[in-house]
Amino acid sequence: MNEKQSAIRVTVDSKAFPAVADRPEQLVLRGVELEVQEGSFVVLTGPSGCGKSTLLNIVAGLDPDFQGTVEFGEDDAKLSFMFQTPRLLPWRTVEQNIRLVLDDEVAEADGKVAAILNRVGLSEAATAFPERLSLGMQRRAALARAFVVEPDILLMDEPFVSLDDPSADSLRALLIELWNRRPTTVLFVTHDRIEAVMLATRLVRLGGTPASIVQDSEVSLSPPERLDREKVLAWRLRLFENA
Amino acid sequence: MTLDNQTIKIGRIGRGVIGSVLSGRLAWTIVSFLSLLALWALVAAILQSRLFPGPLDVGAKFVSEAASGELAHHVGITLARVAAAFFVAMFIGTAFGIALGVAKGADQFFDTWLIFFLNLPALVTIILCYVWFGLTETAAVLAVIINKIPNVTVTVREGARSLSRDLTEMAQIYQFGTLKTLRHVTLPQLAPFIAAAARGGLSLVWKIVLVVELLGRPNGVGRQLYDGFQLFDVSMILAYAIAFILVVQFIEIAVLQPIEARVNRWRR
Repeated sequence: MNEKQSAIRVTVDSKAFPAVADRPEQLVLRGVELEVQEGSFVVLTGPSGCGKSTLLNIVAGLDPDFQGTVEFGEDDAKLSFMFQTPRLLPWRTVEQNIRLVLDDEVAEADGKVAAILNRVGLSEAATAFPERLSLGMQRRAALARAFVVEPDILLMDEPFVSLDDPSADSLRALLIELWNRRPTTVLFVTHDRIEAVMLATRLVRLGGTPASIVQDSEVSLSPPERLDREKVLAWRLRLFENA
Repeated sequence: MTLDNQTIKIGRIGRGVIGSVLSGRLAWTIVSFLSLLALWALVAAILQSRLFPGPLDVGAKFVSEAASGELAHHVGITLARVAAAFFVAMFIGTAFGIALGVAKGADQFFDTWLIFFLNLPALVTIILCYVWFGLTETAAVLAVIINKIPNVTVTVREGARSLSRDLTEMAQIYQFGTLKTLRHVTLPQLAPFIAAAARGGLSLVWKIVLVVELLGRPNGVGRQLYDGFQLFDVSMILAYAIAFILVVQFIEIAVLQPIEARVNRWRR
């Protein structure tokens, strides 16, 4: 197998939020250079409000107002984004929400939608409207939607916050399962250090104001080790010793 | 196949709504309606005037007009004008509303225009259309459309200003494109505003259509009311008024309410 290609190459010379009313212009990111290898699971971490989500939005193309460049390995790289809130269309059923992100032919052709619903355990809820489901189930639907398009790059912005521990754990297990079944390049934002260690093959930490990359480490845990609490805690100590 | 399923669902929900409305409020509606009828009959019996006919006289007129086919003819023509004006005005008004709600610059520029047309009396638009375009069908319907568009635009603009940015970003990431975004993301958010505009719109449109007919059309309910006025035939005026109220009520219950129930069925 040849050298792994880079899937995302992002350079942010500077990113500032413009002044509003009584607050002056705020410089959020400066001199951030990040290259993500194809197939890696990169977790972007750092204190709340440091600019992780901003960086993710820049990569996603949702925030074009910055100094720098974003390049993808393939020109027409297919993106998925799992947001902090599920962002499902409340007036469409769970199944319709997933169907909608596919091209019409693909959605009709095979049992793709039914298969992914089954995989995330939402077959029973397929015809339900999202707001009638628990947050955990809505997140499952959002996860199914993110994977069903078979993305080249999957961006995730604290997708498991404000869930109780068991729900968050089962969603993380589901994410790992889906990812193993269909590996893709993931850029995952979280401020939860245990979650970061459990998921990451590489951990990138942002810090300072304006934020830049202060740490960049490989996490060489095997899949079973990631579910071992002792191992995860040990790695967390090692990775964040000077944090 | 999906479409068929949806149609069936609409039907079911529609019937459910009508059913509950009927069973819940039917008794009160009947009591209320009968008392109004009794009051009317009482006043007519006391006055004993040709200019204040009772329910029976009006009922007889209604039956004879219906039997001759006149009633259906004129009500049908009026309804056709209402429908044409309503749909064109809703379509253009909604498009303007979305554009103004989304584009701030356009909103600032056209705000004055909107205020001008909102406050332009309906009668002025009608007279000007007849003066400029002649006493034609086109002029008549155009006058109604021009009256209605600003109301729709203002209502829909309110909704378009508060469109969810979260969902717009989601649609952008998953490459929905313009049409898909409009159909699945934008319009459902605007549905309550469009429904409000449609409700208010329908009652406004049919009232203006009557004026338009009275001033310059040889047929329609407005024209019949004018003839009734000329002949001091109050039975005729009331018979047509009641026919129209019945039609509008029917549209409200059989068309608008089921549509509203359908677009709102996702709400908790």
